[in-house]
Amino acid sequence: MDIPSVQRASVLCAGKTPPVQMAAFPFGLGVSGVHEIAEAAHGDLPSLTGFAFAASRQCRPGPLLWVSQQTLLAEHGQVSTRGRRVFDPMERECLYVRPRKLIHALWTIEEAIRSKAVAAVVADIEAADFTATRRLVLASSRHGVPVTLLMPYGREGSTAAATRWRIGAVPSAPNRLDPRALGAPRWRGVLERCRTVPNMVGQAFDLEYNDETLSFSLAAGLAVGQATPRAVRPFEAELQQAV
Amino acid sequence: MLTETGARGRVIAAASAPAQAAGILPGLGFADARARLPHLIAEEIDRTSDARALRSLADWMIRYTPLVAIDGLDGLMLETTGCDHLHGGEAAMAACLSAHLTRQGITHRIGLADTAGAAHAAAHGGAETIQIIAPAETQSGLANFPIGCLRLSDDTVQMLRWFGLTRIGQLYGIDRKALERRFASKQASYGVLKRLDQVLGISRDPISPLRPAPDYMARLPCPEPIGTSEAISEGLRRLCADLCADLADHGVGARGFALHTFGADGTHGYVDITVARPVRHATHILRLFAERLDMIDPGFGIDCLVLEARRVEPMDASAMALSGDLAAQDTDEVALAALADRIVAKLGEGAVQIQSLNQSHIPEYAERMVPFEGDLIPRHGGSLQQGPRPIRLFEHPERVDVLAEVPDGPPVRFVWRRVQRRVARADGPERLAPEWWKPSQKAARARDYYRIEDPGGRRYWIFRNGLYGDGRGGIPEWYIHGVFA
Repeated sequence: MDIPSVQRASVLCAGKTPPVQMAAFPFGLGVSGVHEIAEAAHGDLPSLTGFAFAASRQCRPGPLLWVSQQTLLAEHGQVSTRGRRVFDPMERECLYVRPRKLIHALWTIEEAIRSKAVAAVVADIEAADFTATRRLVLASSRHGVPVTLLMPYGREGSTAAATRWRIGAVPSAPNRLDPRALGAPRWRGVLERCRTVPNMVGQAFDLEYNDETLSFSLAAGLAVGQATPRAVRPFEAELQQAV
Repeated sequence: MLTETGARGRVIAAASAPAQAAGILPGLGFADARARLPHLIAEEIDRTSDARALRSLADWMIRYTPLVAIDGLDGLMLETTGCDHLHGGEAAMAACLSAHLTRQGITHRIGLADTAGAAHAAAHGGAETIQIIAPAETQSGLANFPIGCLRLSDDTVQMLRWFGLTRIGQLYGIDRKALERRFASKQASYGVLKRLDQVLGISRDPISPLRPAPDYMARLPCPEPIGTSEAISEGLRRLCADLCADLADHGVGARGFALHTFGADGTHGYVDITVARPVRHATHILRLFAERLDMIDPGFGIDCLVLEARRVEPMDASAMALSGDLAAQDTDEVALAALADRIVAKLGEGAVQIQSLNQSHIPEYAERMVPFEGDLIPRHGGSLQQGPRPIRLFEHPERVDVLAEVPDGPPVRFVWRRVQRRVARADGPERLAPEWWKPSQKAARARDYYRIEDPGGRRYWIFRNGLYGDGRGGIPEWYIHGVFA
């Protein structure tokens, strides 16, 4: 099943965003409202970053604001312009803010929503309680700026956000040219919470990002456990043979 | 009485009025002074604290004029051209200044004249506390002042005394050539003539102010000292309206604003904001100051507020697009700059950053965070086309311990952050040679970058710093530089 990638909006119809299907994957992530993406295990934040960029392609053109708490930056590194190009072919301009405290990060997110100067806000923050997320949801629904919160693996508990995804990296797709090399990135996403489509809660998605068609595809082969197109020889076996 | 330890022992640095009446003047030896007045109280002079106090007094003087300079060890020079009408004339301003200083318990003498040199002479040689030399009467007004007021060296003054020249007026009549010939060295004679010319306004005598003069400023004296934050914000609102009208009249905007508050007790407070692009919109400036106003300590009350505009730049007025659909750009740059200003005002200078791409292949130099200055694209011609780059890059590469090393290939296992990771798949190497033409990179080694995936699906970007046997150090070490999505 291919999620149709949205055509890049031309300059003159900047105000018109394509119709959003809230009931279908990815349930409005990065297009409207507040969404949370949590790590499946410690160290999955880069996968979350790629997923958030890929999902934000559908939102209106314009700059992004990326808020990163400094503790998470030191642990997971800074978003790289050249690295994100694969997931963000529109090459949106990105403003970065690195507050030290959580309260300043939340303040910055809310201020950005209210100003409506940015197309979307993405934030790496350590935590956010129900009141904080509720504030962001209210501001976002009033001003129409989508917010994506990337949170560490310990994220549990109540939230006012529309969805909570739990994303983890899984081995990449087979590389047709070189079986020992990496292929297209794959992630496993579980929809933990969903206010808009409650019957989809608990659904797992095996996602593969295709950087040629610039779209997600659901890696069905992985999901049902059938054979992958081509067996990958373990690297050590190759190595032993070579030695 | 204050003393100072000089080359010839303890000497008097400053003396009170009764001591001076007894003939104890600065420069006299301490032993001589005590011989004249056995009961005198002496203390060591603290020049550092004096200089600090003079500096804070100079800051406070900005309420009268933005151009304030420190003159010697115990004087201040105020350029009051165009400022006196705010106080009702020169005499009224001098009286007001004198009253303020008296209330603060500072003994002072004020001289006011056409030139800086003449004002200095008037302050030092005048009989009254406030000595005003009327405009265009400098020559006649100063004629009876002692020659020591001319800012000359002690030796020169002594020499002029020997010639019988003790009053400034006596110098007027002497032919310049004749005066020059009386001195042994050309420098000394030149010094006298130069100082005289400066006093009389014949040659230039610029003062060097403590801070650059702002191009635009607004000033609000308060009839009563104010102490509440409501009163301060109301005062700021009026100042903003005045200043913004002034900026609009000249078609300019400013990229920085500073609010000075002057306490009735001689204290001086100061808050400033910076903005990403020139503005002259009063509400925006007020919102930015709103975050900072609690930092002002009103003390015993504030009796004067001054708002100054800094880094003034021409500003184009632009009309708003009538409809979002017709907007020529996706980005509303003014709104974006306003957002950045708000964040900077709250979180501090340089809080909002963008990535600039540089012409370099070394990953840590290829992308740099720079403060957002109103332009979204500060790219310095750096190309986006490079090999696969990780979505998250560490600021400094982190050392990893490689357990099973293979020459000219990726490792089989490595330990990063105390967790052992096995390499399932690998891609590479991408060799990045050092930039040998840069002095800082002279000792750098070539790097071999590998993309690596562990069995769990985590994708890393690791590199070996150096080649085996490249003659640039020992065995190459391994580092991790980023993580792929």
